[in-house]
Amino acid sequence: MRRMTWLVVLVTLAVAGTWMAAPALSQSKVVKIGDLGSKVGVFEGYGKYQTMGMQLAVDELNARGGVLGHKVEIVSEDDETKPAPAVRKAEKLILQDDVKLLVGAVSSGATMAVMDVTKKHKTIHWNSVSCAEFMRTTKFHKYYFSNQPDSRMQANGLARYIVDRMGKKVYIFYTDYAMGQSDGRQFKTALEKLGGEVVGVAGAPLDTKDFSPWFGAINQSNPDVLFVAFAGTDSLRLMTQLHSFGMTKKYKLAGIDCFLLQQDLPAIAEPMEGFVQLNHFSPHNPDKNMQAYNERFKKKFGTDANIAAGSYDAVLFWAAAVEKAKSFDPDKVADAHEGMCRDNTHIGRQCIRKEDHQVVMDMHLYQVKGGKNLPIARIAGNDSIGEAMVGKDPVEGFTWEIKKKN
Amino acid sequence: MRAFGWRAVVVFALLAALPLVPGVSRYYLLLAFDALLFGAIAMSLDLLMGYTGLVSFGHAAFYGLGAYATAILMERGVQSVWACVGFALLVVGLYALVVSYFATARRGIYFALLTLIFAEVVYTFFRYTQTFGGSDGIQGLPDATLFPGLVIDTPTRKYYLVLAYLAVAYAICRVLVASHFGRVLVAIRENEDRARFLGYNVQRYKMGACMISALLTGVAGAIYPMRSAFATPDLMLWTESGEFIISVMIGGLGTLVGPIIGGVFFTILRDKVSSIVDWYFIVIGVVLIVIVLFMPRGLLGLRRIFSRERATA
Repeated sequence: MRRMTWLVVLVTLAVAGTWMAAPALSQSKVVKIGDLGSKVGVFEGYGKYQTMGMQLAVDELNARGGVLGHKVEIVSEDDETKPAPAVRKAEKLILQDDVKLLVGAVSSGATMAVMDVTKKHKTIHWNSVSCAEFMRTTKFHKYYFSNQPDSRMQANGLARYIVDRMGKKVYIFYTDYAMGQSDGRQFKTALEKLGGEVVGVAGAPLDTKDFSPWFGAINQSNPDVLFVAFAGTDSLRLMTQLHSFGMTKKYKLAGIDCFLLQQDLPAIAEPMEGFVQLNHFSPHNPDKNMQAYNERFKKKFGTDANIAAGSYDAVLFWAAAVEKAKSFDPDKVADAHEGMCRDNTHIGRQCIRKEDHQVVMDMHLYQVKGGKNLPIARIAGNDSIGEAMVGKDPVEGFTWEIKKKN
Repeated sequence: MRAFGWRAVVVFALLAALPLVPGVSRYYLLLAFDALLFGAIAMSLDLLMGYTGLVSFGHAAFYGLGAYATAILMERGVQSVWACVGFALLVVGLYALVVSYFATARRGIYFALLTLIFAEVVYTFFRYTQTFGGSDGIQGLPDATLFPGLVIDTPTRKYYLVLAYLAVAYAICRVLVASHFGRVLVAIRENEDRARFLGYNVQRYKMGACMISALLTGVAGAIYPMRSAFATPDLMLWTESGEFIISVMIGGLGTLVGPIIGGVFFTILRDKVSSIVDWYFIVIGVVLIVIVLFMPRGLLGLRRIFSRERATA
């Protein structure tokens, strides 16, 4: 009997070993790039559109001969919107699949954990969705690049409009994890600098099903504007519930760029009517560059593009840097990225700032009308990006304390 | 060596040779790290579930606390493996003392519920305490140091670290279950009242099993950030405890070796299937259903089927 036990152990080991040791299929003249994002759950939509943006870019690259004569292939993995699986999958992409570029993750917490992996294994890492402020400051490393406007950029661009046009008394309601906390902090800082008053703040856990327990406090503080920093299915639920409590009519609403994907807007057009956000893409923007990109995207996937357009640009930036460096060597490619510009992207000219590898690009303020994000103003990239703060604590001295004004 | 048995020595020797096998990439060594660590935790849980008859839904808290103990020290510049493990033993030990004191005073579902509730409290505490990084946890940790000059900085070294831990943990568990203490645990599992009537202080024995299981899990948690470079509240989620229980069930209750196999099987299955399909948890669920329905004694129960067939032949 005991012999059988150990036989089972040895067979299991042999099977596991064989499975693990199966060499990855490798082809000559193929370069792999990694797509790490949420494929299920609260941020599923962003992950899927990130993949689509990358696919569009890869198809275009391969149609004109690939990168340095190599056909580009995407390897996609699910980060499960959590740091531990994100790290595991990032390691798999880098160490097993030998990807030369990693795009992702979606949730800020996962992206920050993945940054340690890409730093350690010297892999070019593009972020095109996450927006926590630590990524281009305390967590920054040489191989990391981002074309997603981070919390600071969004707050700088949006706060001025809110104070001037919507009202000075603002309640900040955020999703209580890296992204939402970051958005809340940066928005509070920007708003108070401009003379606005934060009349209340509250955080609700990620994937909250019922937001009504927070509504009493919001109503009690009687704001002019309700600033909401949520994303994905959280946003859908929040808006539906705010609307059923009559709060979408009572307050002016503003939020972050990834609050809802354009595809979700028609379904909750009424609750979202009048909602203001800063964004770098809308399929309803008449800008010719944006329309040209949307046409290509729609032709391939049969649906409008959205803010995950960043993943498309990320792949093209990387490809251009590889061609410039004439090598896939991460150090050379990272150096080639710095200061690089691309023209005629969906938002016009995009340039990678050398100091913190953040892409400088214009954005638009949008307002939802009839289920569509329509542009109401253009914000220059240099006006929103703020100073480079690599190595500095972007939240030094910050406090959630409410400063009451008489 | 006696605690091990020569077959175990052979298996551990084969495992030690894994990094030398051609084609085993650095990633697969890290995957093997995860698999063996998961197996070790499942084995620790088996002391409670399989030998004492207590189902814990709170082992993720022991695991997560161990991970945070390491992360807190490393963040403050302490990189010694020994210091981290020692601190984890202290922190997890204190917490386990409280949990086991209250939980072992109850039986069955009440024990399971109490371990779950305690774990959720710990999870919530770390989730909302900004001192420990809140929901992001503590990230960007440096490599650990085993001895001055010996940094655990490569997948191979990390693999050997977890293999050494598994060997020690296995030896401890093997000695325990073969001892008088282990036999009393089995007696409690079979008939708690009878064990009490025989004069055994049942709660003390259950507390002992709970503490040992928790400490072994805590050490596994302490080792995890030495590979991942972070500790996050997710490690303490009840779903993590559920995965430990699933591993024990897959491998086979009350066998020690079975849960190790279960942990390894679960980790590799999850990794491989999740790279193929997005809805991998459905596949894992189906596998679990098949195992529970057709192999109630887990993968290790296959030996009975083989033995029976051989006897029939």
